[in-house]
Amino acid sequence: MSSSRQIQIRFFAILREQAGCATVAVETGAPDATALYAELQERFPGLTFPVTLLRVSINENYAELTAPLAPGDRVVFIPPVAGG
Amino acid sequence: MFELTAQPIDGAALSARLRAPEAGALTIFEGRVRNHHLGQPVTQLEYEAFDEMAIREGEAIVGEAASMYPGAQVLCVHRTGTLQVGDVAVWIGVASAHRQAGFAACRHLIEELKLRLPIWKKEHHPDGAAEWVNCSVEATARPAGDDLHSRQSALPEVGAAGQAKLAKARVLLVGVGGLGCPAALYLVGAGIGRLTLVDGGKVERSNLHRQILYTTAETGSPKVLAAAARLRLHNPAVQISIQDGELTAGNARTLVAGHDVVLDGTDNFASRFLIHDACLALGVPLVQAAVHRFEGTLDVFQRGEGGCLHCLWLGRDPAALDTAGNCAGGPVFGPAVGVLGVMQAAEAIKQLLGLGGDAARQTRLVNLLDGSQLSVGRSARPDCPVCARVDRLRKMPAPVNTDRGLFVDAAGVRALGASAKVVYLTEPGEQPPAGLPGISAADLAALREFALQGPLVLACRYGVRSAALARMLRAEGMEAIFAESPRS
Repeated sequence: MSSSRQIQIRFFAILREQAGCATVAVETGAPDATALYAELQERFPGLTFPVTLLRVSINENYAELTAPLAPGDRVVFIPPVAGG
Repeated sequence: MFELTAQPIDGAALSARLRAPEAGALTIFEGRVRNHHLGQPVTQLEYEAFDEMAIREGEAIVGEAASMYPGAQVLCVHRTGTLQVGDVAVWIGVASAHRQAGFAACRHLIEELKLRLPIWKKEHHPDGAAEWVNCSVEATARPAGDDLHSRQSALPEVGAAGQAKLAKARVLLVGVGGLGCPAALYLVGAGIGRLTLVDGGKVERSNLHRQILYTTAETGSPKVLAAAARLRLHNPAVQISIQDGELTAGNARTLVAGHDVVLDGTDNFASRFLIHDACLALGVPLVQAAVHRFEGTLDVFQRGEGGCLHCLWLGRDPAALDTAGNCAGGPVFGPAVGVLGVMQAAEAIKQLLGLGGDAARQTRLVNLLDGSQLSVGRSARPDCPVCARVDRLRKMPAPVNTDRGLFVDAAGVRALGASAKVVYLTEPGEQPPAGLPGISAADLAALREFALQGPLVLACRYGVRSAALARMLRAEGMEAIFAESPRS
């Protein structure tokens, strides 16, 4: 069922450094955020941070890594936070 | 109010914004950059934020605190950019009538902000090296809260495998009162994966002698908010979900669906029957307790074993039971609900570990005044109209309450024929996609109407609720119910 559509991705902190950029738009058929992250890891070989330690936000809301993606979604992978 | 700033934080100016004649206490917490972390010297910290979401999440946290501590005024400011040793990274001020709410709110706010804000900090060391805090893979590779459960997983009956089962378990607790408070503490202490709390009540002083998750500082707070905050401190590895509202006939099955075991900590027969019936229909084990003054009873209900709640009370008028059996507002011995609540947690954990034994075939009676305990055997009544019917449905040859053929894609919908309907389940405020009829996910009556008209395919945003409701309708005996494969 998954056809290709555009997804906007922003990287922060350690992921920004590993990817070497802060934003990227991709055409992808990835059904969910976990699959999307795997595709990004192929595109950015430096992106070694394990997906098991990430949370994800879709359109500025925390979501499950298995939540389906829709065209135009804004996806941010969130490494362990450290505010305060 | 929550703010992000790249400018130095001026505590005096922020304090001045919290002046109010009715506030007898101003409680301030400042988080500052210190010169060491995990034994390493630190020279400076670099803060990076996902601004839009940090502000949104920060405002949500401040809003929750305002409802937990009625009348308190809250201001939180978080820094971004490069900070030197001694600089203020986060400033929290609470103006409240009395000190108790101020200290409690400050503590709550800093814990939630640290856990939830999408903000990261990079530590710089004197040798020029730098690293993102909490992001070293070696440090985070250890499962969160590992040593929190070591004394429990050392039990041969639990072990690493049992602990892993618990870490995946989803538990629903209805009612966070005298029974629910101690039960929740032990469930969270045991390291279950997710605990869902349902309660529409507020913290009251007259209940604190037995509702041990709360303090006088939280008087007036929604119970689920105060409970969730306390439980997150106890074991951050456990996900806590909340519903600030009562379980009703309209939402009972939706709430129960997706949980591995349910604990009933409510105090009236109407709720007990609602929760019980939803658990029976969905096949989820239920641990129920009830307390009257110094005495309590404990039952584990499991479909197909030892009968159901209706078998126990067959022929009794539910309204009369409710008048005689309610402990809401009545006198109650604190330790009695405490003991029964802890016993509920024990039975729930045992269910998750497969250690339930014959708990589902007996009622246990405990008397804290004379110290006596008694187990009474229980069995299904063949004339019970409820569990006998559920049993019949389960034995029907057609697949009932199974996932066989549950999910259909676009081709599958066409294959169901022209009379098949696709209906989109909406959340409050959500519009269905163009071309699809929408129906509120909470409107079960309307949903059943649709289901009677022919093959019905449920769709929703994430595919979770549609699958849960499709399973529920199948459990009720409807066969032509399907869930759309997750939308993409």
